[in-house]
Amino acid sequence: MTKKYELLFVLKPTLVEEELQAKINYLKEILEKNGAAIAALQDMGTRRLAYQVQKFERGHYGVFYFEAPTDSILEVERNLRISEDFIKFMTVKYEKQKEIRHWNKLVEKFTPKTETKTEAPVVEETPVVEETPVVEETPVVEETVVTEAAAIEAPAATQETTEA
Amino acid sequence: MAPERRKYARKYCKYCEAKIEYIDFKDTKLLKQALSERYKIMPRRLTGTCKKHQEMVELSIKRARHTALIPYIIDRKSVVAHPFDQLQG
Repeated sequence: MTKKYELLFVLKPTLVEEELQAKINYLKEILEKNGAAIAALQDMGTRRLAYQVQKFERGHYGVFYFEAPTDSILEVERNLRISEDFIKFMTVKYEKQKEIRHWNKLVEKFTPKTETKTEAPVVEETPVVEETPVVEETPVVEETVVTEAAAIEAPAATQETTEA
Repeated sequence: MAPERRKYARKYCKYCEAKIEYIDFKDTKLLKQALSERYKIMPRRLTGTCKKHQEMVELSIKRARHTALIPYIIDRKSVVAHPFDQLQG
């Protein structure tokens, strides 16, 4: 069974940019090898750690958002523990409806723009179609008609339209 | 006697007011509201946060602490004027 996850990792600050990229790709490969479908990668950059970790004051943060089978997480974490360049990591499961909605929002935020075009409209359109046209458009259209006919009776007329 | 008692502003849940659905542990600005100066988790009776959001914020604070996004504790050795400003840099 697949679930939605996010994996936050902290890399050593001593790594050069190329090495960082290599490490991130390495993690990506591990994830994909274990059957994870990666949705987005958030790069939080190098920032100060709130406390010392393995004598380091800073760390390079990154977050992977992915869907994966539940038993693959253990294997991924095992691999991360072996690697010395990851000084911290944490996987968070997004299970409840609210959490999944938040996960989708995050994924949308951090996907490259070419991909969001395909994904975003599908998510956004459905609520828009359900709510706004039904409530808003009909009174707006008919109010203009009413105001042309009789400006004084406008509030009464709108009430009738909403009932109808 | 009863009406004289409440002279301070009524407490309310700031997360409810902002209509926050899910508190992300990476969003340290949100967590800050529920933390004391010394980065302890503030109790509900002092902040007025509702139960639902308090539980959520507690979990996210613990996650953020684990990932070194916010400190577990600030002691005399490591007191700084604006800890959050420093964390961003």
